[in-house]
Amino acid sequence: MTQSGEPVIRVTDLKKHYGDVKAVDGVSFEVARGEVFGMLGPNGAGKTTTIEVLEGLREPDSGNVEVLGLDVCKHPESIKQRIGVQLQSVSLYPRLTVTELLDLFCSFFSHHVPTKQLIDAVDLGERANARSMDLSGGQQQRLSIALALVNDPELVFLDEPTTGLDPQARRSLWDLVKGLQAKGKSVMLTTHYMEEATELCDRVAIMDHGRILEMGTVPELIGRRFKERAVFFDSTPKLPAERLGKLGGVTRAAQEDGQTVLYSDAVPDTIGGLLAMADELNAEPHNLGIRQATLEDVFLDLTGRALRD
Amino acid sequence: MKTLLGLTVANLKSLTRDRAALFWTFFFPIMFVLLFGVLFSGSGDSKVSVGWVDQDGTASSAGIRDSFGRVELLTFQSGTLENEKAAMQRGDVSAVIVIPKGTQDALVGFKAGQKGSIAVELYTDPSKTQTTQVVQGAVAQILNGINLQLAGGSQVITVNPLTLTSTNISTVTYLVPSILAMALMQLGVFAAVPLVQQREKGILKRMGATPLPRWKLVASNILLRLVVAAVDTVLILGVGIAVFHIQIVGNLAAAAGFVFLGAGAFLAIGFMLASFLKTEEQATGVVQVVQMPLMFLSGIFFPFDFMPDFLRSVARLLPLTYLGDGLRQTMVNGTQVAPLALDAAVLAGWLVVCLAISARSFRWE
Repeated sequence: MTQSGEPVIRVTDLKKHYGDVKAVDGVSFEVARGEVFGMLGPNGAGKTTTIEVLEGLREPDSGNVEVLGLDVCKHPESIKQRIGVQLQSVSLYPRLTVTELLDLFCSFFSHHVPTKQLIDAVDLGERANARSMDLSGGQQQRLSIALALVNDPELVFLDEPTTGLDPQARRSLWDLVKGLQAKGKSVMLTTHYMEEATELCDRVAIMDHGRILEMGTVPELIGRRFKERAVFFDSTPKLPAERLGKLGGVTRAAQEDGQTVLYSDAVPDTIGGLLAMADELNAEPHNLGIRQATLEDVFLDLTGRALRD
Repeated sequence: MKTLLGLTVANLKSLTRDRAALFWTFFFPIMFVLLFGVLFSGSGDSKVSVGWVDQDGTASSAGIRDSFGRVELLTFQSGTLENEKAAMQRGDVSAVIVIPKGTQDALVGFKAGQKGSIAVELYTDPSKTQTTQVVQGAVAQILNGINLQLAGGSQVITVNPLTLTSTNISTVTYLVPSILAMALMQLGVFAAVPLVQQREKGILKRMGATPLPRWKLVASNILLRLVVAAVDTVLILGVGIAVFHIQIVGNLAAAAGFVFLGAGAFLAIGFMLASFLKTEEQATGVVQVVQMPLMFLSGIFFPFDFMPDFLRSVARLLPLTYLGDGLRQTMVNGTQVAPLALDAAVLAGWLVVCLAISARSFRWE
């Protein structure tokens, strides 16, 4: 990540509401050139609205929004020449072929990449003459990324690029995004998959109810809240919560999906105490394990609910 | 310009690769022409009326008249050549037979051993295939009989076939401009469906994220429909001319003007519908609800004069009435419902008003 030079995105106190609903309620952030920036949050958090304001598809109610150094409200056309856009779940002219669609989109821009090169970049060579309606979900998503790249953009917006894809297709899309960064492009994406944010993003903003709750690199976000690691096992009534909370090293105990999670800054003490206690109470903690805290934990801690609720 | 053309071609490809759309846009109107043509070309009236002009005024010509009188399919009215030709142009008679002066002389002369023949003139309208065939058949048969009886089969009396176009047009000729009007109405109103579909699927929004200006998106849609309108016109008129021998006699430039004005007006109506409809299902339903009454209440398929007063006042409100009227007047000199200028003004009015409403209310997502 290079933090040098002008940021490619600079948003200051962006607000946008629909009727009484504050979709975006005072959001500020910057994205540096060459950076992959992720917005993580549940459906309805305001991610899509934010990204669509940046793409020039929606007018903000207030706030300052600059993309590639230009004001989005004043210069939408010149920005659109230089950015690449992939929208959430768009199906394109279903009866046009991959090549025809790419050619069509190329004609919208003053400067564009050869179609063949785009097809190769997203590995759709064998389906170049297939109609877009006949493509699989993953292929359609790759096509929609190719369409976002026709003008060789400096900055690419990807709105939930892997939603609805199987794990293999998701992996192949991740490789594509990493390839973009390797070519020096800046990427802003939204997702509600924490693995995706962890895997791809240099920095992440966690968004909920139209606000950014926390922003930083993934290790920063986790480190800021969780110095400790998590000891987890299947919850059982034989091990009462109030005693678990007092075990050595435990800073906090929580219940997640039928599991008891003990956040601990001294894992050996905690495990030792837990096993001694289990012995004493004639109970057994099933599926006992230790892990680092994750973005999911951060999100849970920030909002009191899981990401995909 | 390249963008506009590319977008129009993309839309055209989408249309031609969609079998259902192809059917409704091109084959349905042609089926209509064929169906109506077959239904109505047997002009309904089983008797054919013929004008009889006797310029000979002899016992022989009266005898020939008697022979014709025995043909059950034909009824006759007698008059001067001038009167009967006028009657045929008005549509009162379907053909005129002229027995020329000298017919008796020729017959008598033949018996006396003189050579020579005399030609009976037969006026028919080639656009009325069926009646023309009936009359020509009857005339040939009867004259053969007379030749056989009086001259032992020698061709003393021959036929000189002449054509005379009647302005009272045949039912098929009347209907072809109506079917064209229907096709133009449908292509305009139906345009709402792909537009709503493209919005629902986010295609319009995706285009909005490119530098493509919106007016080009709209213009390419209009261009596509006008191309389709031109193709439909050629197909419908082509089938009408090739299969049913209708005659296009009017002002072709004005007719082309009405084709595009009509397509434009109904396209504006389609855009307006698309402004208020949210889902593709809604659009397909509403489009049917709009086009059905237009088709049957506009009086394009039956003469305006035959309608009950109530229906006539409904029809006077509908734009399709004026498109049908304009096309009929400019293509086949049909009887008019309204002056041409009024036809054009009404269509232009619908175009402007609906386009203005669309411009205000159209949603891109």
